[in-house]
Amino acid sequence: MEIPTNSHCNACYKAYSPTDLFCNGCGYPLQGTPQEQDFFLSERNVKEIDLSSMNEAVRKAGNSLFWIAGLTAVSSLFILGTVAEEDRSSVLIANIVLFVAFLGLGFLSKSKPTAALISGLSLYLIIQILNAIDNPLTIFSGIIFKVIIIGYLIKGIKAVLDADKLKKELNID
Amino acid sequence: MDKENLSFKLCQNCQQEILLSNRFCNHCGKSQLEIDKQVHENKWLSLQQVALFFTIEVLCCASSFLIEENNLFTLYFLDAVMAISAIAFFGYSWIENKIILKWPNFSFLKLTWLIIATILTSVVVTFLVNHLNRDLLHKDLSYYSIFEFHKYGRYLMFASMALYPAIFEELAYRGYLMQKLLTVVDEKEAVYISSVLFFIIHFSFLSIFWLFPFALFLGYLRIKTKTIWYGVFVHFFFNLTACFLDLYPLEDLYKMIF
Repeated sequence: MEIPTNSHCNACYKAYSPTDLFCNGCGYPLQGTPQEQDFFLSERNVKEIDLSSMNEAVRKAGNSLFWIAGLTAVSSLFILGTVAEEDRSSVLIANIVLFVAFLGLGFLSKSKPTAALISGLSLYLIIQILNAIDNPLTIFSGIIFKVIIIGYLIKGIKAVLDADKLKKELNID
Repeated sequence: MDKENLSFKLCQNCQQEILLSNRFCNHCGKSQLEIDKQVHENKWLSLQQVALFFTIEVLCCASSFLIEENNLFTLYFLDAVMAISAIAFFGYSWIENKIILKWPNFSFLKLTWLIIATILTSVVVTFLVNHLNRDLLHKDLSYYSIFEFHKYGRYLMFASMALYPAIFEELAYRGYLMQKLLTVVDEKEAVYISSVLFFIIHFSFLSIFWLFPFALFLGYLRIKTKTIWYGVFVHFFFNLTACFLDLYPLEDLYKMIF
């Protein structure tokens, strides 16, 4: 050991030296009264619950990308039957590209959530705009589902940023 | 132990000396993350700003689809709106953005090689895209048709298809957007997100095969060289070659020579 330590912090398990009054990783009152220490730990617990709910929001947002991919695949089967013969190949290619793109973004959201969620959200919104230009009534088809998906994605993006901040505060990883 | 971890700073609350790596003061327990908090709030603001800018871009591009009769006037009007918004957003954060307008380590050799590689790639891509459009989609795309009637149609086409995107798209995507994204995410993710947005704004799903890698390359170039100018030149010559081949198709050139 390079630095003289006598123990590890009760809250974040970081090593501390005997002269420290507070843990320098998480602010735990090392020399405080038991009440102070209990109060600190309970506050920390609340934040840890917040963190896990944020991670849950990120996970849900990532899953909604898989949902979009699935819906693209299903809806393309219906659309392909209705379009004219000469447009069929371009519609098919566009749908395959979209399906693969959303599937890829869904997997990417596990390792790089910010990039995957922002790309997924903008791609999804653009598709809605393009459909609306083609036929304005498409905005209203499945509008509840669309709003839910967009809501999950926006919530997910915010949760990634909030979770990063909270992790720093709690001295986790 | 890292060497930098052993340098000292003063606690923001009790002014005692503490390690630079400390997240909390070990004398008074005060959090040292206040500056981080500021940064964190700015992150969400940055993302909202990016979203606003991108919405303007999308609206401009989408309205060209909504207008029945596309003529030169609407084309230039929308181009002007996008150029002004790019300059306005870029200039709004001038202090942090001006650094990428500099050209450190200018290398003529590197630029020449890049331009040659760009022209060759553009020829191959244009050839493939034309065949894809003709054989698969039964469409013959020509940029020139909208400029055809004009006396200086060719020069107008070069200006609005090569010069304009090279300067203003680079300023918007590799300049403003990437600089803002770098305050939120790391370099890799910034390159990735800006490329996706760049691909989306072109409103063409088929172009993913070449537009997305092209955008990734431009983003990589911007991060690696810390300037947008290499990107501007690459983008300009890429589009210029495509325009040139639109006017003089490869088949015709081949017949002329042999």
